[in-house]
Amino acid sequence: MVNPYLTMQGITKRFPGVTALQDVSFQAYPGEAMALIGANGAGKSTLMNVLGGVIRADSGEIQIDGARVEIDSPLSATANGIAFVHQEMAMLPTMTVAENLHISQFPTRGGLINTSETDRRSAEVLRRMGCQFTPDTRVQFLSTGDRQMVEIARALLTHPRIVIFDEPTSSLTSREKARLFEVIRSLKTEGVTIIYITHFLDEVFQICERATVLRGGETVGSGMLKDLTPNAIVQMMIGDIGIEVHRKRETAATAEPILGVSSLSRKGALRDVSFTLHKGEVLGLWGLLGSGRTEVARAVIGLDPIDSGQVEVRTDGAGMRPIKPGQAQRWIGMITEDRRSEGLLLSMSVKNNMSLANLRGLANRWLLVRGDEETRQAQEFVDRLNIIISSLRQPVGTLSGGNQQKVVVGRWLQVSPPIIIMDEPTRGLDVGAKAEIRNIILELAEAGKGVLVISSELEEMMALCHRYLVMNRGQIVRELPGTASRNELMAAAAGVDFMEDR
Amino acid sequence: MSARSIPADAPGASWLRSAFTRNRLLELLPFILLTIVLILLALFVPNFFNSRNIINIFVQASTLGLMAIGMTAVMISGGIDLSIPSVMALSAIVGAMNLRDGGSVLGSSLLMLLVGSLAGCINGFAVAYLKMIPFVVTLAMMTIATGTSIWITNSVSVPVVSEELFSLVLDRTLGIPRPIIIMAAMALIATLLIRRSVFGRWLYAVGINVKAARVSRIPATRVVFGAYVVSGFFAGLTAIILSARLGAASANMGNDGVVLDIVSSAVVGGVSIYGGVGGPLGAVLGAIFITVISNSMNMMQVSFFTSLMIKGVVIIAFVFFDSLKKR
Repeated sequence: MVNPYLTMQGITKRFPGVTALQDVSFQAYPGEAMALIGANGAGKSTLMNVLGGVIRADSGEIQIDGARVEIDSPLSATANGIAFVHQEMAMLPTMTVAENLHISQFPTRGGLINTSETDRRSAEVLRRMGCQFTPDTRVQFLSTGDRQMVEIARALLTHPRIVIFDEPTSSLTSREKARLFEVIRSLKTEGVTIIYITHFLDEVFQICERATVLRGGETVGSGMLKDLTPNAIVQMMIGDIGIEVHRKRETAATAEPILGVSSLSRKGALRDVSFTLHKGEVLGLWGLLGSGRTEVARAVIGLDPIDSGQVEVRTDGAGMRPIKPGQAQRWIGMITEDRRSEGLLLSMSVKNNMSLANLRGLANRWLLVRGDEETRQAQEFVDRLNIIISSLRQPVGTLSGGNQQKVVVGRWLQVSPPIIIMDEPTRGLDVGAKAEIRNIILELAEAGKGVLVISSELEEMMALCHRYLVMNRGQIVRELPGTASRNELMAAAAGVDFMEDR
Repeated sequence: MSARSIPADAPGASWLRSAFTRNRLLELLPFILLTIVLILLALFVPNFFNSRNIINIFVQASTLGLMAIGMTAVMISGGIDLSIPSVMALSAIVGAMNLRDGGSVLGSSLLMLLVGSLAGCINGFAVAYLKMIPFVVTLAMMTIATGTSIWITNSVSVPVVSEELFSLVLDRTLGIPRPIIIMAAMALIATLLIRRSVFGRWLYAVGINVKAARVSRIPATRVVFGAYVVSGFFAGLTAIILSARLGAASANMGNDGVVLDIVSSAVVGGVSIYGGVGGPLGAVLGAIFITVISNSMNMMQVSFFTSLMIKGVVIIAFVFFDSLKKR
């Protein structure tokens, strides 16, 4: 029995209002890759940030090679031989590979950068990883996969004993992925301990020896992968506690199409996305973070450019009609995932925020906004959505998250477009506000609107959707009926087939 | 973790609220300072409150104020227009040449408005549609307009001699010189439009958060374009008044100092360089404030160069207050 190289024990971390990690234990072994698995919000990143010295745990201890260590900063993590390959690459595109590799630790001579030493060290690490480009290449000319290699090379420069990979393949092609796996294998033969964070279970079985599963901030399972099946892991990820799911009301999703999307593609983001949304239907776009859900919504509504594809909407009376990207907003309302930066004008009043999409409708023939009508409508939706405010003139930035979100919803109810897209409509809201927003969504569908919902919360999707489109790497990989089980949904998103035991 | 994140606004709410009251205070600052300056002037500059001098100040402030209104539109959208004075000079010259060559007063005035608006269209097109940086675009426009002015006039000023124009623009109504009336009227109209019109509301929305504005189906590109056209139009309007007042038009009308005065008027008047905050009324008051400072220093026989230094310090102070407001 090999001793673990890294042991984290009893790690607890609380943020105001939420316990992110609760007495988590985690071991990783030398020369092996340990997969760290969990749904969005399970605590994977928090745990690794504790290990990387980015945040401090409230309690618990970390041992490396049997000795207890204190990691209180990223610097001390490096000193303890820990390297973190981040998912989001922070590169300086106009600088060379060598400069990017050494930007925080240039070798110097007489106070100036020692360029020959910089190049030599860079060439060495690139050779070790089997990279084809030279250290003097500018990063902006590299492919995404090669940039990822640079990011990894940067981590390897310090000769770490533990390397954390956070979703390293999310932007790689399959060839680049194969190369990455080669590097990981060679690190393993050197006795390096690998921690591999991912959503993709197929990769876990390809490259890892062991897996630890987190759920709701707790360790729920750990073991050798040869003793585990994908189904067992999915089961651990979602648990079998029957969380109460509000049954969706039996609203009749009609067969009448209202929005048709065909072959939407954008290089590097979306591939051949096609679907139809019907009147009175809540259609769920389900998938893990980074699977392309939000990109679909933004492309449909014309906020992001597309390379090819077409969007059709049912315009009044007439049948489906193709529309130009810039026109989509006439029929489609959008509630973005980040209401603070893309939804609200925080310094503006509640009233003005609510009328924002409807100013033309509120204007008189001189194109002046009718103030009384603006106030009347704002008041109407404040009452209807039960928004708690002290006055219509209150700046929206001073409201709580739930009330802010209701303001955004109210904005679109004023305009009443036939189609509404909601991206994470209840993110960050408390339980009561979540329920209220969900009820509004169901009411919209009952009123005959087509609603496209994106959410990372499985319970939410199951409470709302008549039908699911499952996305993975920018593609719709599967369509599931509203009756699909949690396991089916989770497995489909993770890219494995789930066979329901009958 | 992100998906179940803490309701981030809860602890921030009270902080935000106090920031808003602090912003109120900062908005009142110019008026407080103006009052202090006026009291000091009453004490130390005996002739300052002479009615003749007061009217003189307002007339001087009128052209600055009109250009500041145009600048306000652009600054609310989140940009800046450095080309206003040079475009104003070019408009004046083209109009004056037309008048000299026998054109009508009405035609020449319209021509000035047209030249200004056209320059605004070019600025707006480059910034809004070609996504170029306002600072660079309008700086280039400033050079182009000044170059054109010098080229078509050979650096000689074009005389403006027309009793009709003089009486139209410079006469008094109810004892008040027309430039002041025009400035006041424009400030009121602009205030009404910016507060009540759809375009005005869109302008603020784009300046506060262009992403949110786009998502709320605001035609942000057209709105930004419009802001530069408005600023060009006001440059043309200023050209009419200033060329009549000076009785001539020359490339020198839009010298470098003027653009600084315009930006200071707007900033002192509470228009934020970060966009989305302020209004034309404030900018006009700012213009009066700046003119009072120039005029009083002149009366106190402070040298021109010293007065430039003092103005520079005043502007930096107000930009500092503006940055306090933001956070």
